[in-house]
Amino acid sequence: MTADPGPQWRPAMFGEPAGSGRVRCTLCPFRCVLADGQAGVCKVRRNDAGTLRTATYTAGVVHLTAVERKPFYHVRPGAQVLTVAGPGCSFRCDYCINYRISQYGRDDAAPWLGEPALPAELAARAAAAGALLGMSYSEPSLAPELTLDLASHGVPVVWKSNGYVTAEAISVLAPALLAVNIDVKAADEASHRRLTGASLGPVWNAIERFHAAGVWVEISTPLIPGTSAAPESLRAIAARIASIDVNIPWHLLRFTPDYRLAGADPTPPSALTIGRSIGLDCGLLYVYVERALGPAGRNTACPQCQTQLVHRDVWQMVHNVIKGGRCPGCGFLMVGRW
Amino acid sequence: MTAIQHVFTESLPDLIDASEYSRYPDGALVRIRISVTDTGVEILGDGLRPEFIEQVLAAISVDPMEQMLCG
Repeated sequence: MTADPGPQWRPAMFGEPAGSGRVRCTLCPFRCVLADGQAGVCKVRRNDAGTLRTATYTAGVVHLTAVERKPFYHVRPGAQVLTVAGPGCSFRCDYCINYRISQYGRDDAAPWLGEPALPAELAARAAAAGALLGMSYSEPSLAPELTLDLASHGVPVVWKSNGYVTAEAISVLAPALLAVNIDVKAADEASHRRLTGASLGPVWNAIERFHAAGVWVEISTPLIPGTSAAPESLRAIAARIASIDVNIPWHLLRFTPDYRLAGADPTPPSALTIGRSIGLDCGLLYVYVERALGPAGRNTACPQCQTQLVHRDVWQMVHNVIKGGRCPGCGFLMVGRW
Repeated sequence: MTAIQHVFTESLPDLIDASEYSRYPDGALVRIRISVTDTGVEILGDGLRPEFIEQVLAAISVDPMEQMLCG
């Protein structure tokens, strides 16, 4: 067995001098000020002799799967996504199922994985498959350099993100993104910080900025016991989404006990039913549950005439009757990137 | 003792249907399928708690262990 070569560090965007050889990283709201040789909270961006460098220009995992898996339900239903992921995350979520890739640098169970990404080859492979390019599994916003290079080849790029990214980074990256699905993992600051190690406010700021910039936004909320699963927490999250745009699809995710929350119980289907009702009651037009509630939880219906427009099986589209972005029954404008 | 290698894979078959979730509110369900294939023996696990599946597969020395990722 050959030794793991470890990450290859290359010059990074969003670095600025912070005096005395230190560098400030302005990519995420932690805004780490790094001494020479020091890595940031994310463990994948560091000060190398006064230059910010990144290890995230990496393809550790490359998978071709359905867009519904991200999940995106209002982006090219039935499309495939060539997902690229390298190690690293700005959060240290207690429940992370993907910790073996996301928690690189924090947890010995997450060894280095991957080789330098080749954007032209990845884009060509996606194009040949008629697929989008996706960045997911770990935190894509830590790889702005790779995102921009992937997008430069003309294949639309989507993210599944924690939304922990600064306004200045969003202004640069939004033009390169077709869509983002951002996790809102808690309703209040204390719960979010306890679960993730980071503040909730910047996540909402990022959602608002991506939305305002014309990037298609969907939001996912895992129903985590003690953090987000209580009806009052879900109501607060749903109301906040509705205040931004009732057209934003809200995905309620069943919590799977794992990692540091392996001792908790999984989300009962009844809680997902309640959560869906809360979302609709708050005015959201599209509230989805992938599996636990059967087809009724994952199909898209016209909010005006209730015609079933997109029928889905588990993680895949069965058929889609939306025409020109409108309901064929009543003409209601179905907002998305169809 | 060496650590088990985990390999990330695009897709694995489901052995549990969503209609079963409510029957196991504590998540105490692990299902294992053992098949003879052209290349050997395939052991597939599914469950409501990943930790339990991994314990079962580790106990019978499944290495490397394939798993799906979320997202």
